[in-house]
Amino acid sequence: MTFLIQQTLIYAIPLMIVALAGVFAERSGIINLALEGIMIFGAFVGVFFVHHVQEIGTFAAAKDAGNWIALQGFAILAMLAAALFGAIFSLLLSFASVNLKADQTIGGTALNLMAPALVLFLIRILENQNTIQMAEGDAATWFMIKKANFGYGRTESMGFLGETFVNRVYLATYICIILFIVLSVILYKTRFGLRLRSCGENPQAADSLGINVYRMRYTGTTISGALAGLGGFVYALTTANCTANGDVAGFGFLALAVMIFGNWKPLNIAGAALLFGLFKCVAASYSSIDINGDGVFLLAQIGISAHLYRMLPYLITLVVLAFTSKKSRAPKAEGIPYDKGLR
Amino acid sequence: MREKLAGLWGRSGTKAVLASLISIVIGMVVGSIVILIVGMTNSSLGLKSAWEGICLVFGGMFSTGRNAAGSLTFGFNPTSVGNMLFRATPLILTGLSVSVAFKTGLFNIGAPGQYLIGTAATLYIALSIPTTSVPAGVVWILAFLGGILFAALWGAIPGMMKAFLNINEVLACIMTNWIAANLVTWFFDGSVLCNAVESGKTGYIYKTTFNGVETPKMGLDILFPGSQVNGGILIAIVLAILVYILMGKTTLGYELKACGSNRHAARYAGISDRRNIVLSMAIAGGLAGAAASLYYLSGNTEFFWSTYQSLPATGFNGIPVALLGVNNPIGVIFTGCFMSILNISGLQLTNLTAYNEYITDVIIATIVYLSAFFLLIRGLLSGRHKKTEKPAGGPAPTEEPKPVESTNPGEGSEKGGGEA
Amino acid sequence: MLHITKEFPGIIANDDITLQLRRGEIHALLGENGAGKSTLMSVLFGLYQPEAGEIRKNGEVVKINSPNDATALGIGMVHQHFKLIDVFTVLDNIILGAETTRLGFLQKKAAREKVLALSERYGMKVDLDAKIEDITVGMQQRVEILKMLYRDNEILIFDEPTAVLTPQEIDELMATMREFAKEGKSILFISHKLNEIMAVADRVSVLRKGKYIGTVETKDTDKQTLSNMMVGRPVQLEVVKAPAQPKETILHVENLVVPSKGHRKNAVNGVTFDARAGEIVCIAGIDGNGQTELIYGLTGLEKATGGTITLCGKDITHCTIRERGANMSHIPEDRHKHGLVLDFTLEQNMVLQKYREPRFQHMGIINGGAIRSYAQDLIQQYDVRSGQGPVTIARSMSGGNQQKAIIAREVDRDLPLIVAVQPTRGLDVGAIEYIHGQLVAERDRGKAVLLVSLELDEVMSLADRILVMYEGELVGELDPKKTNVQELGLYMAGAKRTNKEGASA
Repeated sequence: MTFLIQQTLIYAIPLMIVALAGVFAERSGIINLALEGIMIFGAFVGVFFVHHVQEIGTFAAAKDAGNWIALQGFAILAMLAAALFGAIFSLLLSFASVNLKADQTIGGTALNLMAPALVLFLIRILENQNTIQMAEGDAATWFMIKKANFGYGRTESMGFLGETFVNRVYLATYICIILFIVLSVILYKTRFGLRLRSCGENPQAADSLGINVYRMRYTGTTISGALAGLGGFVYALTTANCTANGDVAGFGFLALAVMIFGNWKPLNIAGAALLFGLFKCVAASYSSIDINGDGVFLLAQIGISAHLYRMLPYLITLVVLAFTSKKSRAPKAEGIPYDKGLR
Repeated sequence: MREKLAGLWGRSGTKAVLASLISIVIGMVVGSIVILIVGMTNSSLGLKSAWEGICLVFGGMFSTGRNAAGSLTFGFNPTSVGNMLFRATPLILTGLSVSVAFKTGLFNIGAPGQYLIGTAATLYIALSIPTTSVPAGVVWILAFLGGILFAALWGAIPGMMKAFLNINEVLACIMTNWIAANLVTWFFDGSVLCNAVESGKTGYIYKTTFNGVETPKMGLDILFPGSQVNGGILIAIVLAILVYILMGKTTLGYELKACGSNRHAARYAGISDRRNIVLSMAIAGGLAGAAASLYYLSGNTEFFWSTYQSLPATGFNGIPVALLGVNNPIGVIFTGCFMSILNISGLQLTNLTAYNEYITDVIIATIVYLSAFFLLIRGLLSGRHKKTEKPAGGPAPTEEPKPVESTNPGEGSEKGGGEA
Repeated sequence: MLHITKEFPGIIANDDITLQLRRGEIHALLGENGAGKSTLMSVLFGLYQPEAGEIRKNGEVVKINSPNDATALGIGMVHQHFKLIDVFTVLDNIILGAETTRLGFLQKKAAREKVLALSERYGMKVDLDAKIEDITVGMQQRVEILKMLYRDNEILIFDEPTAVLTPQEIDELMATMREFAKEGKSILFISHKLNEIMAVADRVSVLRKGKYIGTVETKDTDKQTLSNMMVGRPVQLEVVKAPAQPKETILHVENLVVPSKGHRKNAVNGVTFDARAGEIVCIAGIDGNGQTELIYGLTGLEKATGGTITLCGKDITHCTIRERGANMSHIPEDRHKHGLVLDFTLEQNMVLQKYREPRFQHMGIINGGAIRSYAQDLIQQYDVRSGQGPVTIARSMSGGNQQKAIIAREVDRDLPLIVAVQPTRGLDVGAIEYIHGQLVAERDRGKAVLLVSLELDEVMSLADRILVMYEGELVGELDPKKTNVQELGLYMAGAKRTNKEGASA
């Protein structure tokens, strides 16, 4: 059970934060199809940062001394780097869709093509290999919170809650959850949030009330880029042992589906992300999931092909979309370039 | 003479071609800049190597390797031209696939999945029907048509989801892509079609020549010796012309375009928008399937079947091919060749320099990015022209400024409201 | 506003216009559609920047670069198309752009009190927590007015405020406007309806084709003079037509039910009526009372969930749009959404339903020559003007000519029933006269014409029979010769009903 929850969270958290990224863009009126590409880029930047800081040896002493708080700070720095570059990368999308009034679908697709190409090009030429990973050690030994950090012994138990939510988890998980809550509150309870949402629904109205639609859309998309970049790195850190290879296996698109399923509302999105996380978790580790802890790997023994499990998240997405699309309500003005001259 | 030139300049087609050329040049310049930056910041590469890289980006097609002194040599390389045509074949067809959907207001990002399904169907048919009892030519035709048929059915799935459930086709296509990748892997996992003869090749399916099936060369191998070219390119060109006729000259094309430009008006006029959306996606799927069939029926290509973690780039590259070709089937023939030239350049980069082929993907992405505001570029081109024309222009519209209207093909009906 | 000039590419929307507004007056701005009224107001409100001219307030030159500047100067505007966010609450809409915050967080309590006080004071009741999409158009207008009051504006601009209201609501609005004027607020009232202007305004300024014609005191003028100033020539205010001679029933609708998109209630609920050959039946009502859905159900754009439709003796309730098209032509409400494929050429649009006829295609291959000559015929016959004739892209044509093209296409289909929904919306007087003439001519040729209109003048002058629609039901049938606008208004507002089955409201 502990394993199931932890694994589900590992997949759900990036989904959740990237879906929220989608919300910030779409609520401001920009369809951010580039989430996938920005995630890929963010993952690369974060891993690249970790790799090179390790090589310089800044945190080597902290690692040797077992100073896990300093190491968590290291992880946070990497997350910041990923978010920063994700935001910068997303400016390409804002520029095309706000200033040039381009087709946002095509612009997003361009970014999705650009990210893996650029990342693979850079990895190949800078690292002379096909993936980039940590310079030494692995994600677990460097960044995971472990019960040893709290003085528990190897055989001591922290209790169910402790084992599930404290031992062997990443701080990134909790940072993302806090970020998710804070940003959701901002979206609904602040002046900025109210204005941002108005731009995605009726930019003409917003403009007539003196709200700068262009700036709002830039802001929304930039926040979106930062979150997606961050989400990309968190994904790479927690599910791929801090490696980047120019691919996040359609995760950005799954996040888009989560966003639609969640009807562009944070609370629903959190629920949807958990659901999808569960499916993703089953798909990734069905053979080692021991649901009731009796040593029987039920899912592996049913005899369903591994291929089916891997296909499952995508299939479920389609089915869920089929059932929710009639009810779902996208921001009205999303995808439509706003032109001050035409109203 | 001046009038003639002005007439040529005034044609929207001319502007479209110009806009495409500008995008291409900018894309290649961006690629060059990336190479330059990397070359200058990385001491092991240096400026000379960067310069060589840039030369290959622009002239990779005519590269003939390195001479004894170690510097790059250029010249006409028939093998490269042949290979270019061979690689252009699937690109032209996936480009057609994307452009047919575009004309119907749909963004077919599902070409990779359709391509995979087409691959699987073609290979299965080509390798399972024994040529000992059925003539190889018949098997070839069956495999080709089978690939098209299954890919068309696959393409129709997101079409139906769009038409009946109003699900955004981009999302549906992406999901079906990954499902296709898993399905195909599943299909070939443990199959007898996996290459068990050559050692270390179990990850691949047999070449179709294993069963004696391959596309006839139609004399092209004599023109371009040493290359992989075959009659497939001619079939692709014929298909492009057929699509051109279909879209431009038939009632079906009229209906598809009406649905694409204004789904509501089409419905109003009694045209079944749903049927046409499904049909358009099926045609698009069929074309992507044809791309896969022709690529793998060539007899000298093999398919890496464990593909569940990656999607074929050929499918995605149909998007820039279509965009650059302004969704014109004839234009797509040329832009398909251009993309293929970029591909060859990429290979030469990998072979001859420290750079790698991914830079061509960067160039392609840049071009797609630019084509997102293609209309703007075209507008700028015609804007310059309009200033001189204005006084003689038609009667000024008396209406107040119109409300914002979509001008992009990809938008279509999506803005109606609650769509997933 | 002095010497304001605003140009758009290829068109001068405002040409040297001067307008003076006194404190505490109601000043009407009169002009046809496309005369430049809305553009001028957009300049005043900071949405557009003028190419020439200046704006003064209290004698001082002011620069209005954005709606923010306008608000700071106390200028507020109720736009013709409301600038409201459908999914926001009334309160959120009112405070948007003028929020009170602490540390960036919204402080709604004070705002709520202020809005409540205002709505109390002017007798404008609204539910602050309702969502805009759930309240009536009249309510939405109140929200717009409250938005201006909340910002303490002194100059209030009303852009065509009466188009969406019943006659009774219009009276209320005018009373409110007088109240504002009495308090010293200045009001700019934009309209092309002479009755209202005569009733409420102190002075009138007239615009025509972007030019300033003059300003007069309402007490020194009359309707005919104003109308001549507006159009530039004497106008036929009434439609000339002979009494109708209705013949056999063409269309019979029985208990039709069409579901609503957003709400649980049916948009059309048990509607029954006939339309006979040789008469114009007009469906009147305030926008949003189910007229659109009724037509959708009739033409097949929306599925009816109950009732039957009989056209020319054939039950078409479950027929496709194309099958219905065999006996029915349809001039749609929204010419950009339904009427035209804007990116197609004029000739392609002319054969939107006809392209499958044998004369235009053979075995699926289109006969371009036949289409070209057919389109040329229509263009000539119906005087559709465009830049490049049949190959003009529909998008580049003016609204009037787009509508003419649709009328040409639909009338030329020569079918027993013509459904026309707001065929004159947004057009200038010339085009309106032309379209009215066409509809009457078709009636006289023995067609049944079903007209949906929101313009009471149009209803009264064109209809042979008026059916009033209210909340999805037909609440009354009136004879235009025996009724007046006031009575019609009562039906439209749901205050009166004559039909037998709908006893409870």
